[in-house]
Amino acid sequence: MQSIISKGKNVKEAITLGLELLNVGSKDVNVEIIQQESKGMFGIGARKAIVKLTVLAQQNDSVSVVNAVDVLEETLTREEKHQQPQMDPGTTLTQEKHEGKVWVKAGRLYCKSSPTQFPTVTLGKGVTLLKNGEPVAGPTVVLSEHDLYKIVLKEDKQETKWHVKMDQLKLKVILQVEPGYQMTRQIPDYAPDEHITLEAEEVKQVVNTLSYGDVMVQLENLRVKQGFIQDNILKAIAATVPSEFEIAVGTRAKDGKDGWFELKVDVDTKKGLQEDDDGKVDFREVQTIPTVQKGQVIAVIHPPIPGEPGVTVTNEPLPPKQTYPVELKLGRGVMVVDDKVVALESGRPKVEQRGQLVRISILEKLFHPKDVDLESGNLRFMGDIEIFGNVKEHMRVEADGDVLVHAAVNFATITSKSAIIVKKTVNSSELSAGKHNILVAECGHMLGILHEQLQQMNAIINDLLKSAAFKHTDISQRGLQPLIKLLLEKRFKSIIPLSKQYVDVVLKGKDYFESDDWREIAVTLKQIFLSLSQQMITLERLKELSERSKRLHEWSKIPVEPEAYITLHSVQNSHLYSSGDITIIGQGCVNTKVHAGGRLNIEGIVRGGEIYGKLGVAINEVGSEMGTRTIVSVPQDQTIRIKKVMEGTILKIGTMKYTINETCYHISAYLNRDGEIAFN
Amino acid sequence: MLQYSTTQEDSHLTVTFDGDFDIEATELIQDTIKPMLSDYSIVTINLSKVPFVDSSGMGLLIDLVRSMESSATVVRIAEVREEVFEVFELLQLPEILGEGTFV
Repeated sequence: MQSIISKGKNVKEAITLGLELLNVGSKDVNVEIIQQESKGMFGIGARKAIVKLTVLAQQNDSVSVVNAVDVLEETLTREEKHQQPQMDPGTTLTQEKHEGKVWVKAGRLYCKSSPTQFPTVTLGKGVTLLKNGEPVAGPTVVLSEHDLYKIVLKEDKQETKWHVKMDQLKLKVILQVEPGYQMTRQIPDYAPDEHITLEAEEVKQVVNTLSYGDVMVQLENLRVKQGFIQDNILKAIAATVPSEFEIAVGTRAKDGKDGWFELKVDVDTKKGLQEDDDGKVDFREVQTIPTVQKGQVIAVIHPPIPGEPGVTVTNEPLPPKQTYPVELKLGRGVMVVDDKVVALESGRPKVEQRGQLVRISILEKLFHPKDVDLESGNLRFMGDIEIFGNVKEHMRVEADGDVLVHAAVNFATITSKSAIIVKKTVNSSELSAGKHNILVAECGHMLGILHEQLQQMNAIINDLLKSAAFKHTDISQRGLQPLIKLLLEKRFKSIIPLSKQYVDVVLKGKDYFESDDWREIAVTLKQIFLSLSQQMITLERLKELSERSKRLHEWSKIPVEPEAYITLHSVQNSHLYSSGDITIIGQGCVNTKVHAGGRLNIEGIVRGGEIYGKLGVAINEVGSEMGTRTIVSVPQDQTIRIKKVMEGTILKIGTMKYTINETCYHISAYLNRDGEIAFN
Repeated sequence: MLQYSTTQEDSHLTVTFDGDFDIEATELIQDTIKPMLSDYSIVTINLSKVPFVDSSGMGLLIDLVRSMESSATVVRIAEVREEVFEVFELLQLPEILGEGTFV
């Protein structure tokens, strides 16, 4: 006899639930109340009603008995707890085995209640259970054999994602593809158990829906016309894992080479006077000056090699960087035959190079066998000068080439565009080598600042012209003068002193500038900013001035090869000025102002004066016991090296100053990271 | 063409300009306004009815303010329209004439 224990809030509910589970009417059972419900006090001690329902014997016939193993319908069958004795014992065993259990076969869920046990299932990922057509909230469900259950398995699907992108230069197209997938689930068979967890077996199948046509349409949208890599497009279509493919590439422009200048002769003068191992100076060395003969080829000019243009994937040409030929400035004594520079006379070839600009000439040499004095007069020569005597009081020597003085220089002025060498003492004189280079550097620097100011001025004028409340009437009548006058009033008031300074420097050094550009800029600056000229000033003119200033400024920054230099034995009470190195190889330098655009080397002693080396300073001994003021300076990125430095000497690096307070040996001073002077 | 009207209160004169402050105003400013203002100790230049300026006009204004300041007259420029003031600022007129000039 089948009987069950049922619980409910009250007896009625317990009976109803029990009848429902047994699927019988109230007349077919015998009800035994085991426990009455009790509400307790404030819910404490509350008890549920418990009843025992026993199916009456005659009911057995009307209950269908089904062999559970054969059940394939969706209906859950109920079984009798005690089978009729005529049933075959095997079946009975199986039936007993399934009681209170749940199992899965061929994707269907079966269960069988027992009076003491309801089977339960836990739903795994992607598994939904329908109870009588309605989804059941999981994860754990109590099953009753009177309900209709169905397992529903979720199928996941992900579309293929892809993206085509082109780089900014239009040289590369990348296809990113993330193939989609289809996830199918199957529920395996589960043996009967009181509780099972329904875990579906997942089968993931990659589905890449990207087609060749899709890619081509996208490429067309991006206007990609050439450089396709078909192989990679095919690989992308067949991709099974997220990946990136380069599907089109352009060609970069290949830069060419500027024209160059190939020297066929040695033009390097032995640089200065060198001490030999015994500490003696061999003055003969300096006379090994290279010479060429008439008709000799000095150099070959190579034309620029143009680059090759590239092309973008959208079939736009990419021009290569422009290449420039050598710009040749021929001086005297040379001519160009085809691509060669040939000497027309014998002498020393002088070659000076600044970027693409090459100046070449043959320098004659003037031999002056005696002193330069009132009898000989001042010496001015386009080539080299070699003086075997002294340069005497108030005399001048000027040369385009080197100046070599075998004796001393007293109260005189020597100017050279390349080198000055003096074998004996220089006293109370002014020596300047490569002054044109320094002037170019100085003026170029000013033009750099002017260019920036002019550029800003142009920008402001453009802004003004766009202003709603600004009338252009007077500009068409009188040009930009009234406006420039206003701008110079405050906003650009530094332009006027700067222009004045530039004009002055160019005027003073007019003989040193080889190109007219410098002078022309001075004239324009005067007209626009420094005078009340009636000439109409247009915006175009301002722009042109700005551009021209920029070009010259940039040109002035290109180093000159070879640089000028000064080498001498010893010097006192003088001024030395060189755009390149200065070397003093004798006793030293007393009360002298020295400016070297390159390195400054002093083998002897420095007593008094100010010395500066743009590329660093190296000195044997500095200072004096008498405390004469001596200043040694270098720019902030350079080092001062001194073997012995005496008390009171001032070292300047950049804008920092340091006064030596006791005699030191072997110092090397530089600016550390904090911008302070440090010593090694 | 620039026109003007004046209102007086003791030694304080207010000149209200009406029209474009431009090159065509040169004569008016130099020959009429400048001599007229030198007798007052405080002058307010009202620009509320000036919609446009040009560079010559601004030159005239600077010149006018400076000449009055040299004769110890206190000058104020009042009610400058926003778009005109933008032009003044581009040229740094407030700095040229002194920040206190514009009220």
